[in-house]
Amino acid sequence: MGKKRRGPTLDELLARPWCYYCERDFDDLKILISHQKAKHFKCERCGRRLNTAGGLSVHMSQVHKEQLTEVDNALPNRVGLDVEIFGMEGLPDDVLQAHQQRVATQFQQAEAERQAVTGNPPSGGGSGGGQPAKKPKLEQPSDLKKRLAEHKAKRAEMLAGGSSGEATPVGAGQPAPTPTPTPAGYSQTPPAAAPASQYPYPQPYGGAAAPPFQQTASPGYQAFSPASGKQTPVAAPYPPSGYSPQPFPAGVSGQPPAPGYGATPPPFPQQQPTPTDANLPSRPGSLPSASGLPQRPAFGAPPVNAQQMQQMHMGHPIPPTPTTAGHANGDTSKETGQVSSSVDDLISGAAKDAAAKGPEPSEKPAKKEKSKLMRMIFSDETTSPEEKMAQLPRYAFVPDRTAPTALGELPGAVVVGTIRESDTVVDPTH
Amino acid sequence: MSSNQFTVASPPADAISALKFSPDPNSARIAVSSWDKNVYLYDLRDENGIVGEGKLLQKFEHRAPVLDVCFGKTENEIYTAGLDWDVRKIDVNTSTQTVLSSHEAGVRNVVYSLEHNLIISGSWDSTLHVHRPDAGANPDSLPTIVPLPSKPFSLSLTATKLVVAMASRALHIYDLKALALLSAQADETAAGGNRVEVEPWQRRESSLKFMTRSVACMPDDAGYASSSIEGRVAVEWFDPSPESQARKYAFKCHRQTSEDNVDVVYPVNALAFHPVHGTFASGGGDGVVALWDGITKRRIRQYQKYPSSIAAVAFSGTGRHLAIAISPGFEDGKDDVPEGIVKIFVRELGETEAKGKGAK
Repeated sequence: MGKKRRGPTLDELLARPWCYYCERDFDDLKILISHQKAKHFKCERCGRRLNTAGGLSVHMSQVHKEQLTEVDNALPNRVGLDVEIFGMEGLPDDVLQAHQQRVATQFQQAEAERQAVTGNPPSGGGSGGGQPAKKPKLEQPSDLKKRLAEHKAKRAEMLAGGSSGEATPVGAGQPAPTPTPTPAGYSQTPPAAAPASQYPYPQPYGGAAAPPFQQTASPGYQAFSPASGKQTPVAAPYPPSGYSPQPFPAGVSGQPPAPGYGATPPPFPQQQPTPTDANLPSRPGSLPSASGLPQRPAFGAPPVNAQQMQQMHMGHPIPPTPTTAGHANGDTSKETGQVSSSVDDLISGAAKDAAAKGPEPSEKPAKKEKSKLMRMIFSDETTSPEEKMAQLPRYAFVPDRTAPTALGELPGAVVVGTIRESDTVVDPTH
Repeated sequence: MSSNQFTVASPPADAISALKFSPDPNSARIAVSSWDKNVYLYDLRDENGIVGEGKLLQKFEHRAPVLDVCFGKTENEIYTAGLDWDVRKIDVNTSTQTVLSSHEAGVRNVVYSLEHNLIISGSWDSTLHVHRPDAGANPDSLPTIVPLPSKPFSLSLTATKLVVAMASRALHIYDLKALALLSAQADETAAGGNRVEVEPWQRRESSLKFMTRSVACMPDDAGYASSSIEGRVAVEWFDPSPESQARKYAFKCHRQTSEDNVDVVYPVNALAFHPVHGTFASGGGDGVVALWDGITKRRIRQYQKYPSSIAAVAFSGTGRHLAIAISPGFEDGKDDVPEGIVKIFVRELGETEAKGKGAK
């Protein structure tokens, strides 16, 4: 941790001169120019280095009587001679923008990887706010929303009272540092209380937890508050179900409370997915906080959690708290049978998403390219392309001699069958 | 930058399976085998012996698609191998074809060793046939059959060694001297169908994780390069000492990133070493030919993309020319070979075009 400065900032990266033909970047414009002269504008015949592709073209046609058709060593889509490039001059705007975009995304990716690996805060260099500083460049509106949501969430936490104090440290334990807010904030109350309070539900929950929820829920999750309000009277004997919003994040932090909430999916069919899934398109716009949140857990939350969550929602009873699970199942079947299944679908879909995202961070640190998906043009491991082609009807060939040899063998086989008879016939000759 | 490149007139009608330059430095002949059941012989020289655009000299029809071809002792001697299970010798002057031996399945490769005067063919029946064309007294001498653990996919020779790349990523290196000796003995002892278990000089597993596509030996007899269907080339050395083995390496090539950021990986169909500089060319399913310096581990150059998959590449005996055969490639999930262009390009290389650069 002694290093203060880990690498160049985005601005420094963007300012680096780079070569139009091969997208390589350089420390210095001089080096770029000498690179271009050596790599792209060098005459193959006499080794003379020209300043531009056009110059080389003229040189080739005048000196060697040859037509230059393409720029050497260039990327396939940059071989054209129509663009006159010298150093950084002459770059087409679209190409320049694409390059900058690419550098920015690469930088962010590297940053995210580093975060995932080290668990360090996003600030890239010594200067503050690596990520917040550069994100605006790409997508300002969404980022603003995100930050607003985070802010709201923080305020909600503050309102939630003392519990928020506990929330932050646990959240900080995960790779995503400060901004874990709302779900963690919710979840924090239960893990502390839940294991103990699992069996004697009504009192602790009704007393301590309920009020903060109604308050906190209204700004962030408007839909929650009415629902929980309805829920409490109906399911009075099983208060936990009323606190359904908690369990999902709670699943991340601790197992025990989870099974008790297996009952929860039905009452809040729409809300459930939002905390788990980052990319559900159906997410209402009124929940901007959700958009900010899931991104972080995607790195921190291992795929296991998604599965656990799925299990919880599927209503699989988990040993420690069989009784509550039993209640839960009873509830689901009575209240909303169909909805629960659709919720399961949603959640399992979300779990899949999460699982798909899961392995990514683990691969990324190894090598950047490995995170890329790979598609092989030919991937059969046992049959070579030639053998496959040979199987095509139009290339089919049956050697003539197979017929004769087959015929030669067949009588033999037939003879085997008739040998006994022939033996008897032949015997006398012996 | 365009070095002089031209296309050879009257190319085969169907996909090209192999293309070889005559190893004779004085010759400029190219033999091409094709799935259209013909072997084509081109000569880049005109009547006055001046190397030019090249023309088709002769065409030899076979019974089935021809999978490989190679030159023999002279530029007038050609050996072919094909789907009709036969290994043939073609005398160009008389246009006569002689069947040297028949395998039990399609014959994928045939190579000729000038030093040991051997013709070695590799077939999908998992055998090598070793022929001795000058069996002398016994012109009907049968080939020695060397069983292999897997189907051979590619053969390559040096002056002293034979490298056989097989399915299941197996790789055998045979000592040609031993092979010649054994086959001579087998010829004397056994009258017919002489199967000889030959212990390879070295058994290796491919350094690449996927099916070996091609193998080519360094002209200085030091090692070989192999390529796989998964856009990768490995370079390794014969010398079994740990120091030499530590030098082996592999690198990715012939890949493209598509718009949705998926790495499209093409098979590396062809490898060929430059006879003088010791650099090598690779040809991939992406239609790209690249020149590499295997010693300094650097790419020398990459040529502009060709319109079809690269089926074969070959350097001429002098190293002045690089012939490139393009054909549509066989892809995953396809029942048939896609329509595509079949062409033969010949590049006249600049003096230093294929020469390695100094180390970094």
